[in-house]
Amino acid sequence: MSDVEKYGLDLHCTMMLEEYQQVQPALERLCRWAHEKIRSSVRDAGLMITACESRVKTEASLAGKLELKGGKYAFLSDITDLVGVRVITLYSVDVDKIAAIVENLFTVDWANSVDKRKSHSLDSFGYNSLHFICKVPPEVYQDPECPQINDYSFEVQMRTTLQHMWAAIYHDTGYKSDVEVPQEYLRNLNRLAGMLELADDEFSRIRTGINDYRRKVQSLVASGHFDDVPLDGDTFRSYLSLHPFDRLNHSIAVVNQAEIHEISLMPYLEVLRYIGCRTLGDVERIRKDEGDDAYRMAVHQIGGTDIDILVSSIGLQSLCSVTLIKQGGGQKELEKMYELLSGPSDYNAHRASRVLQQAVLLGIKTN
Amino acid sequence: MQVNVINSADPVQVSLAGRVDTTNAAQFQNSLDFIIKGNQKDVQIDCAGLDYTSSQGLRVFLMLQKAVQSRGGKMVLTNMQTQVKEVFDITGFSNIIRII
Repeated sequence: MSDVEKYGLDLHCTMMLEEYQQVQPALERLCRWAHEKIRSSVRDAGLMITACESRVKTEASLAGKLELKGGKYAFLSDITDLVGVRVITLYSVDVDKIAAIVENLFTVDWANSVDKRKSHSLDSFGYNSLHFICKVPPEVYQDPECPQINDYSFEVQMRTTLQHMWAAIYHDTGYKSDVEVPQEYLRNLNRLAGMLELADDEFSRIRTGINDYRRKVQSLVASGHFDDVPLDGDTFRSYLSLHPFDRLNHSIAVVNQAEIHEISLMPYLEVLRYIGCRTLGDVERIRKDEGDDAYRMAVHQIGGTDIDILVSSIGLQSLCSVTLIKQGGGQKELEKMYELLSGPSDYNAHRASRVLQQAVLLGIKTN
Repeated sequence: MQVNVINSADPVQVSLAGRVDTTNAAQFQNSLDFIIKGNQKDVQIDCAGLDYTSSQGLRVFLMLQKAVQSRGGKMVLTNMQTQVKEVFDITGFSNIIRII
């Protein structure tokens, strides 16, 4: 008794199972290649996915399939899901983008491919996924050691995370099992499918809205309409891309012929809010109005030293200190500002006190 | 200047004493070179005995921080004297190096 005879299949199916055993290494190779090709192409396209997974159908699973509908297949290569790759996206709109990538990479067997998203009637909900049956065209890839790689089809499933979750739970309820699931539960599962479809659409709509907002803000920043732009993480990052503090930094650095070590100024977002900035226009006014005093304070601090390296926050740090003092901020307010920047420390009190003394020396006082 | 290292500790313990200036910055860097090039992740530097650091010293701190961060580690400076902390403040280094 051969080892596949244990499944008790008819002769035709047993022969297909034996053929499967022979080509299994080739299927593994096809699986690895297709997985990597899809994964790298999706990454190169800049699309965010939650997972890319793949598998070769196990012998036991194939035996189960042949037992149920083995007569449907003349040859092993007629079975299109011996190899499967699944791409799971965050957003529903990205499923179609992944589909376009897959179309470009492989030969798609349209007759056997199916868009489950479109297979529902107007009043039904359920499994939503896009399945393409593909082959690797010889002009795209050939493996001399494994010529069968171009002969076997493989299935690419594309779906969103929510669709995937629904499918996994549906599968777990045992839709393939012999035990019939009561209609009541199936109805509830399908209701959930409808709700998740709505959620998928809403997530896509929210992302589109956020992207539109970002583009609008970037346009306002680029055109200098700073007063119309609220100060937040996105807008401040766009503003910083204009390098608004470079001139002040360089004018300070040149005093000591210092090099400037570039760092992110994003931690100053919280400080700018603390000193009352609500729009980029507020930040821009500080930059223009207090730049001279910020320069004087920074130069006062480093001028008498041999320091020849500064961090690119030097100008903004001085601007924030000067602005706070001019707003009437004293010891406590400055301490709080340094705490926002460097964390709590007993030293913040000393630092605040020293800066206040320097401000007095330089004649920088409340407006 | 003096650099003492307890490499077996986790985080690696370094204590500094004296001044870091142009005359001994290279020696300072050499003393820490095995951490910069090694695989230790977290480093804690006790600066209680550090009386002064020049820009060269700041560069060594920066280099060390970059090295440990590239390995997913952290560098922390502790017990810094006021006059040394001022150098970190006025240069902006206290914005990028954790000092407690």
